[in-house]
Amino acid sequence: MTAPMTTTLIPATGDGTTARSRAARRWRRARAPLVVLALLLVGGLLAVLPAPRTSTAPLAPDNPGDTGARALAQILTRHGVHVHYVRTIAAAEKAATAGSTLLVLGDLYLTPDMVGRIGRSAADLVLVETPDVLDRLAPGVVPSFGGSTTDVRGAACDDPDAVAAGTITAAGAVRGHGPGVTVCFLESGAGAGEGGALAVVAGARRVSVLTDAGPLTNRSLADQGNAALALRLLGVHPDLVWYLPSSDDLGIERSSQGGTSLTDLIPPWLVQLGLLAVAVAAAAAVWRGRRLGPVVSERLPVVVRAGETTRGRGRLYRRAGAHAHAAAALRAGAASRSAARLGLPRSADRPATVAAISRATGRPAADVEHLLYGSSPTDDRALAVLARELDHLESEVHRS
Amino acid sequence: MAITWRAVALTALGAVPVLLLPVPGTVLVWVALVAALCAVDVALAASPRRLAVSRSVPASVRRTEPTSSTLTITNLDRRRLRGLVRDAWPPSALPASGPVEPGAPAALGRRAPRHAVDIPVGEAARVVSALQPTRRGDIPAGAVTVRTVGPLGLAGRQASLPVPGRLRVLPEFASRRHLPSRLARLRELDGRAAVQVRGAGTEFDSLREYVVGDDVRSIDWRATARRADVVVRTWRPERDRRVLVVVDTSRTSAVRVLDAPRLEASIEAALLLTALATRAGDRVELLAWDRRVRASTAGRTGSRVLPAVAESLAGVEPALVEADWAGMVGQVRSRLSRRSLVVLLTTVDPAAVERGVLGVAAGLTDRHVVVLASVADPEVDDLRHGRRSAAEVFDAAAAERTVLEREAVAQRLRRLGVEVLDALPDELAPRLADTYLALKAAGRL
Repeated sequence: MTAPMTTTLIPATGDGTTARSRAARRWRRARAPLVVLALLLVGGLLAVLPAPRTSTAPLAPDNPGDTGARALAQILTRHGVHVHYVRTIAAAEKAATAGSTLLVLGDLYLTPDMVGRIGRSAADLVLVETPDVLDRLAPGVVPSFGGSTTDVRGAACDDPDAVAAGTITAAGAVRGHGPGVTVCFLESGAGAGEGGALAVVAGARRVSVLTDAGPLTNRSLADQGNAALALRLLGVHPDLVWYLPSSDDLGIERSSQGGTSLTDLIPPWLVQLGLLAVAVAAAAAVWRGRRLGPVVSERLPVVVRAGETTRGRGRLYRRAGAHAHAAAALRAGAASRSAARLGLPRSADRPATVAAISRATGRPAADVEHLLYGSSPTDDRALAVLARELDHLESEVHRS
Repeated sequence: MAITWRAVALTALGAVPVLLLPVPGTVLVWVALVAALCAVDVALAASPRRLAVSRSVPASVRRTEPTSSTLTITNLDRRRLRGLVRDAWPPSALPASGPVEPGAPAALGRRAPRHAVDIPVGEAARVVSALQPTRRGDIPAGAVTVRTVGPLGLAGRQASLPVPGRLRVLPEFASRRHLPSRLARLRELDGRAAVQVRGAGTEFDSLREYVVGDDVRSIDWRATARRADVVVRTWRPERDRRVLVVVDTSRTSAVRVLDAPRLEASIEAALLLTALATRAGDRVELLAWDRRVRASTAGRTGSRVLPAVAESLAGVEPALVEADWAGMVGQVRSRLSRRSLVVLLTTVDPAAVERGVLGVAAGLTDRHVVVLASVADPEVDDLRHGRRSAAEVFDAAAAERTVLEREAVAQRLRRLGVEVLDALPDELAPRLADTYLALKAAGRL
């Protein structure tokens, strides 16, 4: 049909680019992803950086809220006290050396083992709101009932810290037994016992018990002599270990268990081989990932099948439960094909059609009439039966 | 830049030094070494841009006919060019690389041909890629991608060079297998006794001697009187009639029937009719129309008609617009001055016909013989016999309704004087040829 002629085009030399234009194109292509990457990095840094600056944990030295203690920590820092903020017993144990102060805030999360480890440390102790561990850490000091309301109390003892503070606002009370225990800031008012808010146990190391953390908080630090008491209690030594026990810390360290961990069992060369395997995988990805040229697109024809409209109509019939409608279509089709087969004209009326089909199949005319023009089926089963019977009728017409 | 499997293998070979000296530094040093070797290889590889590439393809080829694209690559660099060349073509232009199941997507398992080349400095090489287009139309070639590899075979450079190329794929004309039998029938029409083909348009051909079997009514008594023998008149089918084939390329032609759009079946039918009518001595013109003329041939005669029709139909694609039938009638009027055969290749889709052809058919049938050839959907017939479930019975009812509606529309068209034939895609071309022959035999053209 066509002559076998060929088109030979002028040779194309190069792809019309120079090293400069390629570099420019690469830069243009890489620019947008790089900007996104930079934004992500900056955003990540911004999200990470302010996180350690403040917290909302009560009595934390980085909490600027009412219940926090950042004011106290900052004042101490300004006066040359190094505040080591720790949340685990292991860190507290490590930091609390002789000649430092260990501040323990609350005993809710302290296990007996942890209490023992606090007791073994050489540092001076300041126990705040720790009524349940007093018997082990502060011998001679017992919690006392009463004094549960916060009120202003005078020193009422000869401890120099208490005297310097004068009055504080505090709640709670402890009583002292035995020698070397000084109880200050006695509770006042009706039914007052001899319990006080501060107990100091002198000895090889000084143990101070404060029944209420209120004087340390940002909210109350400036009230009465709270600040003086807090600064004098915590600022004795240049190092302060600020231990706020955490519910996450169970006081168990893997290294202290003495077992061998999984990493100890892996030979060192296996780790290095793993690293090499990563490098090999990366190289394989580069090898397979580089396409030999761009994808060539194909103009695709329409994919809608012609039968879709018919199927859609069938589904509509079904959803609408149009059994009568469907039956009418099946009957009309069967009748028109049978009539055409029997040579009836298109204009043939109903009795003529029925009579012709009846003659051809040998069926009674009433049967044929009922099948082709009878009552409409009302459910799926009746419709299926009708369809089958129409098939039989039609096959009989075609056999005749 | 691209690396080869050798670079990966060399990286893996680092296991030996790592086992001998298992410290992190070993891995780092080895990776750095491999990277350095790759960089050296890239630097020593020939430039994939200092090439002259030309592509040559046949001007046109029939669909499913194997052909080839030839690339001539001249190495203009000062280094020997080793590497891979990929001649990119859309998947439909490529031969199936393996056995393809019927009905599988055409693009499945087809890969752009790639060739290993080794071209010394200043020399040229020729690589031939086999093509076998499975889709009609103008297929644009993709870029030629060259990947050169350095002397170590570890890494190299890559570039895609835009080498223009275009392969015009003509319709397959698979229906030409029906042509010999129809031509035989056409010859039978020649020289038949007049009484069998008597009609308004049959033409007197010649006189010949009476042989036993001829109809006595065709004896020409005047001629017999002049000679000693009994002479009969013979007739031949009319010639030099005009046939206008109108291919509808509107939205109804885009719908897929079996594996191809309806338009493909229309084109096959148009080609067979063109071949047959041209041999019968008629003048065939073509018009592909939706809202404007998509393709058109006119004024060609003899053996040049069929190539012209195939060529102009090659680039015709279905357009997703509603056909402008009034405009089509205007086109027909402006082209045909005397009585002609107008063949409309469209569909008797009830909705489309009621708004389209029905309104304008009367304007055509009063002057011309009009045949409407429609592509039917075999799927509807399959649906009609579904009885396995309630859903299938409902589908069968819907199919029944579709058939009845098509039949009704066809009937209305027939009443307007249009010859309607509704056939499956494979049967449309021979059925249309038969209709043409029947019209010719009856002298209705």
